Amino acid sequence: MRKTGKIVTLLVNAAIFIILEIAALGMLRSDRAQDFFVSKGVHAFMAKVWGGTEAVKHYFSLRQVNEELSAENFALNQELMAWRHEAETAKRDSIARSFTDIGEFHYMPATIVKISRNKQHNYLIIGQGSEDGVVPHSGIITSEGVVGIVDAVSKHYAYAISFMNTDFSLSARLGREGAVGPLVWDGKTSGGAILKEIPLQYRFAPGDTVYTSGYSSIFPADIPIGLTGDSRIVNGATYEINIRLLQDFGAVRYVTLVNNVGRQEIESLEEEAAP
Amino acid sequence: MKKNFILLYVLLVAAQMLICNYLHLTSYVQLSLLPALILCLPTRVRTSVALLIAFATGMAVDLIAEGAPGINTVALLPVALLRRTVCDFIFGEELVLRGEEFSIRKYGLPKVLFALFLVQALFLLIYLWADGAGTRPFLFNLIRFGASLAAGMLLGIPVTDMLTPDDRK
Repeated sequence: MRKTGKIVTLLVNAAIFIILEIAALGMLRSDRAQDFFVSKGVHAFMAKVWGGTEAVKHYFSLRQVNEELSAENFALNQELMAWRHEAETAKRDSIARSFTDIGEFHYMPATIVKISRNKQHNYLIIGQGSEDGVVPHSGIITSEGVVGIVDAVSKHYAYAISFMNTDFSLSARLGREGAVGPLVWDGKTSGGAILKEIPLQYRFAPGDTVYTSGYSSIFPADIPIGLTGDSRIVNGATYEINIRLLQDFGAVRYVTLVNNVGRQEIESLEEEAAP
Repeated sequence: MKKNFILLYVLLVAAQMLICNYLHLTSYVQLSLLPALILCLPTRVRTSVALLIAFATGMAVDLIAEGAPGINTVALLPVALLRRTVCDFIFGEELVLRGEEFSIRKYGLPKVLFALFLVQALFLLIYLWADGAGTRPFLFNLIRFGASLAAGMLLGIPVTDMLTPDDRK
């Protein structure tokens, strides 16, 4: 009788364990977890509580000056983007091509209220939400590189996947007209990344600048990301290059959200074209 | 419960949240008090209840501090499942049968450290797997495991001392 009781207890424990473990694994692996309404409430809580303490820290590091610099930086970035756009258009005209420009980007200043840096799946919370015009899949950039991608949005906050996340891959270009390959975080330091799949015929030197390629519907082209370092040949076929990121993730607070207004059109076109 | 276990437990969970948010040592060290907290649950707490406590604790830390729902929970549940087995193995079956608690003073530091080693190792194996093992070189994961295990065991000593009774054997 006692033995039967033990077996029943064992089975009940195993059942509870399996159910709870499946629930936890489901949340861990689900892409939709961040859109779950509880998560949205929790993001707001995290932003309020942890963001409040971070704000105190920033108060002591000349917050006022930072905000002024941020506004100025944003205005300059807007101007720079406009010039780049004009330069790009002029270049296209000069080689007698007549493409229709569908890649228009909308820029918006934003503030990071919470950022994690010590995990393999890092994230950040932005102090702006849907009421401010933030939409999922917006890119997060600064003048020194790419910071992340907005994953989920609540009324006043947005949850974003950081570049320092093993799930994050960014299309990057060696120099302004070099080879393109995926750029991923190295997982060890906040200043390191790896540029992969660069064909062997391309030449580069340590210290060359790496830019966003523009081959994505999220980030505009030609944002400087980092500088090349050591490289190695992988499987005798491609280079893998260590990149020193220009963006200091330990100090980032003021960012620019970038939203490709033609993204949905591009995606629907891709869906139509898919076999 | 003489030491107001519940209050201490809640305070230590809050401490874990603060560690997650503000104690960024290096990518090689993952500091966690949670396995020690689950190990120190009173022995009269049944495994099924311990599993629910572990789930609630893991979820609280995941949602409020980690931002990655499920990662601590996934790693903490096996610790709760095997907590009594670890206690039986290291401190003897009488401990659970008599409804007594273990403590450093009662069983000595080496035995408690061994228990902490087992639960921390189990927790870290699953945590590091969930946190991107397979996407990083084996050596990186190995160093991360070793450094985190050592740090977790060191942190676990004061946690165990706080949560377990002071009485001698």
